[in-house]
Amino acid sequence: MLMKLAGARIYDPANGRDGAVGDLFVQDGRIVGDPGPGAAPDEVHDLAGRVVMAGAIDIHSHIAGGKVNIARLLMAEEHRGAAEEPCGCSGLATPSTHVTGCRYAQMGYTAAFEPAMLPSNARHAHLEMADIPLIDTGGYLVLGNDDLLLELLASGAGEEAVADYVGFMLNATRSLAVKAVNPGGINAFKYNQRRLDVDENGPFHAITPRRILTALAGAVQRLGIPHPLHLHGFNLGVPGNVEATLDSIAAVDGLRLHLTHVQFHAYGAEGDRKFSSAAARVAEAVNRRPNISVDVGQIMFGQTVTASADTMAQMNNAGLAHPKKWVMMDIECDAGCGVVPFRYRDKAFVNALQWAIGLELFLLIEDPWRIFLTTDHPNGAPFTSYPELIRLLMDRDHRLARMAELHPALPEHTILGSLTREYSLGEIATMTRAAPARILGLTDRGHLGPGAVADITVYTDRPDRRAMFEKPDLVFKDGRLIVRDGVVVALVPGSTHVVEPAYDPKIEAWMGRRFDERMGQRLSHFRIAEEEVRGGNGLIRHACRPGSF
Amino acid sequence: MASDQPTHPLVQPVVRPVVHRDVVCPFCGLGCDDLTVEEEPPATLAVRSTDCPVARERYARIPAPEPPRVAGVPVPLKEAVEAAAAVLGAAQAPLVAGLGTDVDGARAALALAGRLGAVVDHALSDGLYRNLAVLQRTGWIATTLAELRNRCDFLLVAGPDPAALHPRLFERWVTPTATFQTLPSREVVFLCGEPLDGTRAILSGLPVTVLAGDSARVGDAAAALAAALADPSRASGAAGIAAGDIAALAERVRKARYAVVAWAASAFDGAHADLTVERLVHLVRDANRHTRCAGLPLAGHDNVVGVNQVCTWQLGVPLRTSLAGGAPLHDPHRFAWARYAKVADAVVWVSAFQPEVPDFPAGQTVIALASPGTAFADEPAVFIPVGTPGIDHPAHVFRSDTVVALRARRLVDRGLPDTATVLKAIAAALPQEAPTC
Repeated sequence: MLMKLAGARIYDPANGRDGAVGDLFVQDGRIVGDPGPGAAPDEVHDLAGRVVMAGAIDIHSHIAGGKVNIARLLMAEEHRGAAEEPCGCSGLATPSTHVTGCRYAQMGYTAAFEPAMLPSNARHAHLEMADIPLIDTGGYLVLGNDDLLLELLASGAGEEAVADYVGFMLNATRSLAVKAVNPGGINAFKYNQRRLDVDENGPFHAITPRRILTALAGAVQRLGIPHPLHLHGFNLGVPGNVEATLDSIAAVDGLRLHLTHVQFHAYGAEGDRKFSSAAARVAEAVNRRPNISVDVGQIMFGQTVTASADTMAQMNNAGLAHPKKWVMMDIECDAGCGVVPFRYRDKAFVNALQWAIGLELFLLIEDPWRIFLTTDHPNGAPFTSYPELIRLLMDRDHRLARMAELHPALPEHTILGSLTREYSLGEIATMTRAAPARILGLTDRGHLGPGAVADITVYTDRPDRRAMFEKPDLVFKDGRLIVRDGVVVALVPGSTHVVEPAYDPKIEAWMGRRFDERMGQRLSHFRIAEEEVRGGNGLIRHACRPGSF
Repeated sequence: MASDQPTHPLVQPVVRPVVHRDVVCPFCGLGCDDLTVEEEPPATLAVRSTDCPVARERYARIPAPEPPRVAGVPVPLKEAVEAAAAVLGAAQAPLVAGLGTDVDGARAALALAGRLGAVVDHALSDGLYRNLAVLQRTGWIATTLAELRNRCDFLLVAGPDPAALHPRLFERWVTPTATFQTLPSREVVFLCGEPLDGTRAILSGLPVTVLAGDSARVGDAAAALAAALADPSRASGAAGIAAGDIAALAERVRKARYAVVAWAASAFDGAHADLTVERLVHLVRDANRHTRCAGLPLAGHDNVVGVNQVCTWQLGVPLRTSLAGGAPLHDPHRFAWARYAKVADAVVWVSAFQPEVPDFPAGQTVIALASPGTAFADEPAVFIPVGTPGIDHPAHVFRSDTVVALRARRLVDRGLPDTATVLKAIAAALPQEAPTC
């Protein structure tokens, strides 16, 4: 079937289109070139005056896995009482799989990636992701606190062995990328260490966080994994942590590194309140180094729940829980998980400044190809707050009006009021479509050129950008209409994106022994078979290119 | 009955037993994946690699298939499915419960329950809810089995010996060396409970202390211990355990590098056993002021943990939820299956792991999906024999610690349908509705 989307303003930064009027053609779920005047489309959508972009891609959103289910259990209040929607879909911070898929699609998103899949919990995460309708998914594998890797590093293993280990783990767990969470810190917390300096040996494995970080960044490069090491850095949420953030950038020494939810890692300890914005310093470092990318982890005000593998940081925050209950778990010689409900208050100075720091980062980092729109759902805010966040970026008056409602001491602690930048539609398209696809290695997504998967979102160009991005007119997934005027009209399954880097299988003998001796599980049972992911239908493999990054 | 059956591969003469190695056992939630199971003619399985009574009994109980029945009369599967759909289509307050099934079975059960507006629950959720109630009220600090095995240097077992329910707990997760501790010794204390003989034998190489006390008051002992942590010299006795013993135990917890407190809540007594769990959880939390300590709530027979996980991710809320109003309404009291069964007008009961179904009130309309050979006090309206996950078909099940999901493979083919297939067929036989959001 041939479909024509006629006469829209096309924002497709990957192909150099910035709002020029044109037609798009879709056949068999993909974008095709103009078939010429002789072709007779089976379906034509007249989109004159509308804005068309590729489906949006969220590179960092906690949508599946053990900690998400623990958050749901802790936040059962969210689902109590009257349903928010006629269909009974409930929960903003802890939506069900069904609601997650629907809410994303209703906002014009066609992919979201779970950024913290623990090796031991990967099978669960895949089972759960398969139940999220409408959007594509994939998981980033959490490494860097796993006892086996730390043991390997402490034994003086070379780069090759580390890369083999990482390569095996990515294949076995059907992952798309490597995530490191407070490298070494979660492991140290299991020995009752409540902090660990970047150059301090761990309490059991004689290895420093710096060494873990550089080893993983090196392994990612050696294996040719498209997405750079996805780093949840050190001292999350601690005033003064900007030094560790800048140190991480320096530590990788030119290797590619993605700093995730960098807002939580851009804090100074200056001023009368010993808590200050260090956004300008982080932005300056990012602007100077093309090997660094970031996503922001913007906070928005209201009730949410924070869920992280970083038990060391979450244990420190547990006293701030709202409501007053929280869960910590030490997990399977892999990592951990800490779930702490939290309410960001606009009248609280610290929360207001966090909000401003996030926006400063958005506005000070110049290259929209290297900064991504996230709230670290649900940690900074539910992903449903993206339309409001887009409005804050695109509309300075709105930003200033909102700022005036916050804690009165805020203006003297942020330069936000002086920042005049307003994101353009093209920059939003870059940051939420083209750039996420490029940095994940999804070559046929995030753009509208011939051959691209026909994940397409159509908006009415409204001056109120929140209203515009909250409710697209049409959303297509693989060429099929799934949302019309904000209503889901077809429930289709998504796909799961993975990489399968080549590695030397000799490492499996060593790992097999370790699994038998320690994990109480056969390595063959740890490995997830292809048919276990979406019943074998829906794995999409992306090429690794050793030596190209 | 057997003469009605189609000829089956297993009744053919088999020359040698087939040996299945590294079998994943789906039954008790410990996730043992090292079983050797022999398939012997004519149609039996025998576990050779372990004395675990749960594994031995469950694998040995695989009766020959039998046909579905409607009102006691054998019928083809299709007719049974249609009869079930007819009953359920007319039901006003259905219950979909039991749910002894794998992840796919749980998905199909939730989809059916959604269509029917039913209440969902698992047969064994009583024990699970003693833990979940506390998780939902206060949260907790917990750990997983490999952390116990490799990091724990001090294990406190609270209440009755969990090995009664999870027989290989100590063999697989406690006796191996704690690899990730510099002093890889491990000490075990039983508080308000006595180790079973088998447990004593397995732990003979480790220092074991038994503070038997009153097992019904293990919560009191936990509270006394928590109070003594701050200052052991001010310890008081509780639950029949002397103050001196509590003080020594508090000292020992404080000196541990990684203490684990383990319990099996379904073994606790009383209607308010969640309060016992709450005191254990507080003990763990307080111990983290001095050292590292984590709880290990054991549960998980018949994949109750996995079914609860699927329910939580698909509905946003756990088991004991009603889908009658469209939006999931979670109420662990009202929607406990044993309570709701008294008012439900039709019950779908799934018991794919074992041939056991509870006695329902006389006159209750029951559609039972259960292992062949299930004995019923009252013949159900519809009985559809289903295969056992991890014996008749591949299956995803969760371990007790909620983190690790395993895939158990198929061992034999008795020609039985799996639960998911049957439930999907029943849903498909109902009047169709358009999906909505």
